[in-house]
Parts: sequence; structure tokens; C-alpha cells
Amino acid sequence: MSPALVEAHGLVKHFPLGRSLADAISRKPGEVIHAVDGVSLEINDGETLGLIGESGSGKTTLGWLLAKLHMPTAGRIRFAGQDITDLTGRDLLAWRRNVQVVFQDPVGSLDPRLRVWQIVGEPIQAQEHLSRAELKSRVAEILPMVGLPGGSLDQYPHEFSGGGRQRLSLARALSVRPKLLILDEPTSALDVAVQAQVLNNLVALQQDLQLSYLVITHNVAAVRYVADRVAVMYHGLIAEVGPAKEVLEHPIHPYTKALLAALPAPDPRRRRARYRISGEVPTLVHPPPGCRFAPRCPFVIDRCRSEAPALRAIPGRPEQLVACHRAEEVEDVPPEQLLTGIALAVGGP
Amino acid sequence: MAEALLDIRGLSIDYEVGAGVFHAISDLSLQITPGRVLGIVGETGSGKSTLAHAIPRLLQEPPARVRSGRILFRGVDVLELPRWKLPLLRGTGIGMIFQEPINSLNPAYRIFDQVAEAVAVRKLRDSGQTPTLFQAVEPHDYSRGKPVKTGPALLHAAIPHLPGIGTGARREALRTEVLDYLKLVRINDPETILDLYPHELSGGMRQRVMIAIALSEKPALLIADEPTSALDITIQAQVLTLMKELLEEVRTSILFISHDLGVIAEMADDVGVLYAGHLVEFGPVEDVYTNPRHPYTKLLLRSVPNRYKTDGPLPALTGSVPSLAKIPPGCPFHPRCPLAREICSQDPGPVLERAKGASASTHLSACYFSEEVATIG
Repeated sequence: MSPALVEAHGLVKHFPLGRSLADAISRKPGEVIHAVDGVSLEINDGETLGLIGESGSGKTTLGWLLAKLHMPTAGRIRFAGQDITDLTGRDLLAWRRNVQVVFQDPVGSLDPRLRVWQIVGEPIQAQEHLSRAELKSRVAEILPMVGLPGGSLDQYPHEFSGGGRQRLSLARALSVRPKLLILDEPTSALDVAVQAQVLNNLVALQQDLQLSYLVITHNVAAVRYVADRVAVMYHGLIAEVGPAKEVLEHPIHPYTKALLAALPAPDPRRRRARYRISGEVPTLVHPPPGCRFAPRCPFVIDRCRSEAPALRAIPGRPEQLVACHRAEEVEDVPPEQLLTGIALAVGGP
Repeated sequence: MAEALLDIRGLSIDYEVGAGVFHAISDLSLQITPGRVLGIVGETGSGKSTLAHAIPRLLQEPPARVRSGRILFRGVDVLELPRWKLPLLRGTGIGMIFQEPINSLNPAYRIFDQVAEAVAVRKLRDSGQTPTLFQAVEPHDYSRGKPVKTGPALLHAAIPHLPGIGTGARREALRTEVLDYLKLVRINDPETILDLYPHELSGGMRQRVMIAIALSEKPALLIADEPTSALDITIQAQVLTLMKELLEEVRTSILFISHDLGVIAEMADDVGVLYAGHLVEFGPVEDVYTNPRHPYTKLLLRSVPNRYKTDGPLPALTGSVPSLAKIPPGCPFHPRCPLAREICSQDPGPVLERAKGASASTHLSACYFSEEVATIG
């Protein structure tokens, strides 16, 4: 079997917090934010991995690590079998055509003073040096792929709607024909009707161009349409990973269940009772010693507070990995149970 | 039928800017009866926020201009009020919660001062020491659930106009009540929160503080403009749960505006669907969602991703929302509509009337062919 397109092993990214001058002089060790705290994952050729989690879970940082926009604190990244963790300079620049990012904010990531052909052509220009006319004709070929008119070469980003800007951002990422696209919240700024158009466009492009996607999103429902596999992140770690259908229809980890239960259904007949996950994603400075979801988890036992669970498969669900001590017991609890006022019944001893 | 708390008739609002005239709201009429939650759903640029801001007269005029219509709030035409009376309308009459709580809270004041300001203003109006447009007692009643524990009304006669300048005794008297409101919105450890600044709170906490401020004025109508759209989904679920619980305890009418069909389904009793400034469908939320009678509503509902749905592309609406400067003649949706015929593109367009084939008599649709909507595959 050929190696996966991307293999990340034990990725860690800590961001140092500012510290006072007195602390710095006395050489007191600084505190760090544990944005990503030991993540291993693979993305196969032509596959879409959905990465879901709340803000502050470290999903964007993980995406940036894989795109080599951050240098990892520890861990290795292999791309198509080659270790790229320490690439620098010319090698890094040449490698960058393999992985492109569609950033979260379609307004902030487009320079308002550049025209469409300059924005979309910029990655091409960084790789190969073309004349203006050649560049324009290349860009004109790319625009129709994302559903933009080829005649909009000389327009500015502000002339586009929200969906149009997102398409522009996508066209820029596709311009160098990457193997992996990292899409950071590709639809969160869009209305539902436009979101559907963009999601369908992404799926069609993947088939045409044999791309791999990493789709980072908090939109649990949208990920079902695009992803083959889904990884759920909480507090810098992967809580659960597996085939999209399994993870979203039979979630095992209590946090995955909590995310799915939080999703309001567009159906007034399925109005929800009370939502019982309290608290928020804690700041990532002092991670708790045991399971990081333990403070909010309705199924918490003493062991969860002292011992960190490892990512493992449970009997009968070989493709799904989950980091929970009580995975076997909570496996069959439906997400809806996190809503009602009744006591949580969990099987087992 | 109970008299409408808010009665909007034939409202049209334009924005006149250099690039032209944008028709943000076109001939919109709707009513909110006391104690009901009216959801307004629409895409970006459909005029939802213009509507939310027009009711308490928060639109900046110019560029905005009310072309025609009346906004009757408890029988008073808000549009006729002189400017100096507007502060009397806001807060105790109409309360607001906006999308970004960080923009609504003053970064320079502690949480205590911001909630206390609202409480103090309401107390002065209640006690008749400052003029008010309406008596604040009705229809805000606590009869449906356990009463809100308000502290003893020990306010001194002259409350300092600015928050944070009060002397010790006045602050103490307000403090009890402020704490009650923070507890009402389920803030853990409210004593600590009192002394924090807005930037020290998370987004969910800030939105809770905003809700506490809005409720402490006991408004007869609460306008919530995308109150949870900036929050994570687990936090959104918490805030929605809180708002539903509060609805049981504090009976107040709510105009709930959102682009999220799921959130509206969860919160609203009635729903209005806005498209390009036109109210295209209106009715009880169950009827509209299960038996939509306008093609736009039907297609919009279909394009929502569902985590159980499996294969095939997502049914998407083709085309895009028209520019408000160039709204198509006739029915504004006709260029994208699968049912469109010749009559649909002719002025004047269809008016909002009882939908054909709808079960509820209050289910309205602005479509000539509302009985055919169910046939859209």
C-alpha cells in the first residue's frame, strides 16, 4: 500500500504567553498555550478529512501546522512519504505548491487593492515567472472551475458577494494545482443557500482534480456532505476519528455527542429540551491532568480526572478511534439524551 | 384575538447612497401579539437587520429613509415620535440584543456598572421620577413561572446619571438587584463577574450579560438580532436553552431574527420569511416548516445540510439574491423560481394573503401559485 498523502505524528504546538520582565530576568519558565498537544493523523490521496470542534479546540492551528505556516514544537509531518518538518528556503517554497489554504475570512484574506487576476495569479507567480498576458490567461482558465465568470479578471474583491469572495479564495488556492487543500471554515461566513452551492462545488472539484481536502469547520451538518472521514478535536487533542457516517451517526465520545446534540434541527417538531452540557472550552494554558473533557462531561468518573485516555478502537467498531475511558459503556447513548432532563442511564458495571 | 403589541403596516425603507437607492424593506406588514415569539429568517441582504433597527428607530437617517408605512408599538406610531422621546421608548419599551455582544458593551466600564445603569433607569421610570412613554408593568408579568427575585427597592431619590459614580449606599442597593439579574441568566459566580470588564469574559458570558441588561429593563418587546450567531454551537445551545427558560419565567414578546433556520425552528411561535426586503411567507412555525407555501421557503429549507442525509449533492438554490438596488419587478423571487410564469414578472407583484392549501388561517404567502409549491421536487 502506498503511504498516505499526509502523515502527522505526535504534532505539538505550544504558543508562549507573554511574561513580565521580572519573570524573564529570574529565568522563571514561561507559561504556554497548548494549542495542539500531540495529534497524529493521516490524510489519504483523494480523501476528505473533516476536522470539527469548537473555537479554541486547536483545529485551525493544526491546519496551519500541516500547511507549514507554523513550525511545530514537536512531532513530524510526512508528505507523500517525504519528511517535510524541517524544510526551509527554496525547498519549502517549491513544496508549497502541493498544499494550499483557503482561509477562514474571505474578506480579510483578499487584498482589496489587487485585481482578480493578481490575487488568483499570485501563487502561480511565486512558483514560475510568467508574463502578465500568460498569467491572465492562466487565471481565466481557473475562474470557471469555481463558478466565477472568466471575464471578471480586472475586478476588485469588493465587487463580489460573500459567496463570490469565497470562490475567489478557492480559485487562488487551486491556481497551482495543489494535491491537498486546507479549507478553514469554508462556509461559515455564507448563507445557507450559498453554502449549498459552495459545498457542491467543492465535491465536484475534488472528483475532477483528484484533490485531498482537510475541511476545518464547526458546522457538523455540512461536514457530512463533504467528508469521507471526520476527526473531532477538543482542547488540542483528537477525541474521536473515523468514517464520517460512523462518527456522525453513531458517535461514541461524549464530546462528539454533545456537539451533535447542540445542532438545532430545522424542524419545529423536533424542538429540543434543555441542553445539559455546561461550561465552555477552557483556556489551554493549564490542561487538566486526566481527560480534557472531564470537567464538562456528563459521564465523568474518578478515573477520567486523573488518567488521560488514549485514542483506541473498541470491540465491534474497528474503524472508529475514540479517546474515552468509558467508550464501551457510553457507546450506545444517543446524542439526544444529552438534551433531556432524565437521568443519564449508562450500561455496564 | 389579542391586540397586537407591535403592528407594522406597509413599511418601506430605502438607503440612499452614492451608488443609488437600495430598497431594504418593501411594503412590509406584520403583527406581534403579546407573549409570542416571532422569528424572522432571511439571507444576508434580505433586510432583517434594517427591520430590527427600524423598530426602535436606531437606523441612521440618512442614509436610511423611511419611505412609507407605520410602526405602531402599543398604539403609538414610533415613526412620529420626536427625537427627544426616543430614549424613553428604548430599553423599558423595546429592548435589544445584538449579534456581537462585545460591540454592545462598553469596554471602559465594569459589568456591574453596565447592568446597574439599566436597572437604575428602569427604577426611575417605574417610580415616576423620570418621564416614560408607557407604564412598564404590563404586559411584562411573571405569572407563568416562579417570580424573579428582585431585591428590595431601596433606591435613593437621585440616582447619579452616569454609572460608577454612585456612593457606597446607592451602589449596595443596586448591587443586590444586579446580582439577581446575573443569576437569572445563570451566570456562575456572579460576584466575581461584577468586577470584570467585558474583554475578560467569553462570548457566551457576554451574551448572557447582554440578555441580563435587556431583561432588567423589563421591556414589553425584546428584539434579538442574531443573538447566537457569533457563538460556538454548544454555547449557542446553552444560550437558546437559557432564553427558552426565561420565556417561561418572564413573559415578554420577542422578535427573533436569524439566518439560521434551525435556531428559528427552535425558538419561534410564528415565522416570517424575508427575501430581498419582501415578506414572502408568514405563519405558525410548524405550518411554514412542514408545509411551506412559497417556493423560496421550500428551496431554502431543502438546502440545509442534515447530518443523516447521505449521498448526492445538496439541493442548492440556483442564482443569487438580487441586489437591493435592482429588485426584479413583480415577485422578487421569479428569476430563480421553478414555478415562475409570465404573470410573476409583472408589477405589482403578488401580495401576502392566505396561502392556498395551507391548514392554518394565519398562514400567509406572497405567491400566485402557492398551492403548487408542494409539487417542487
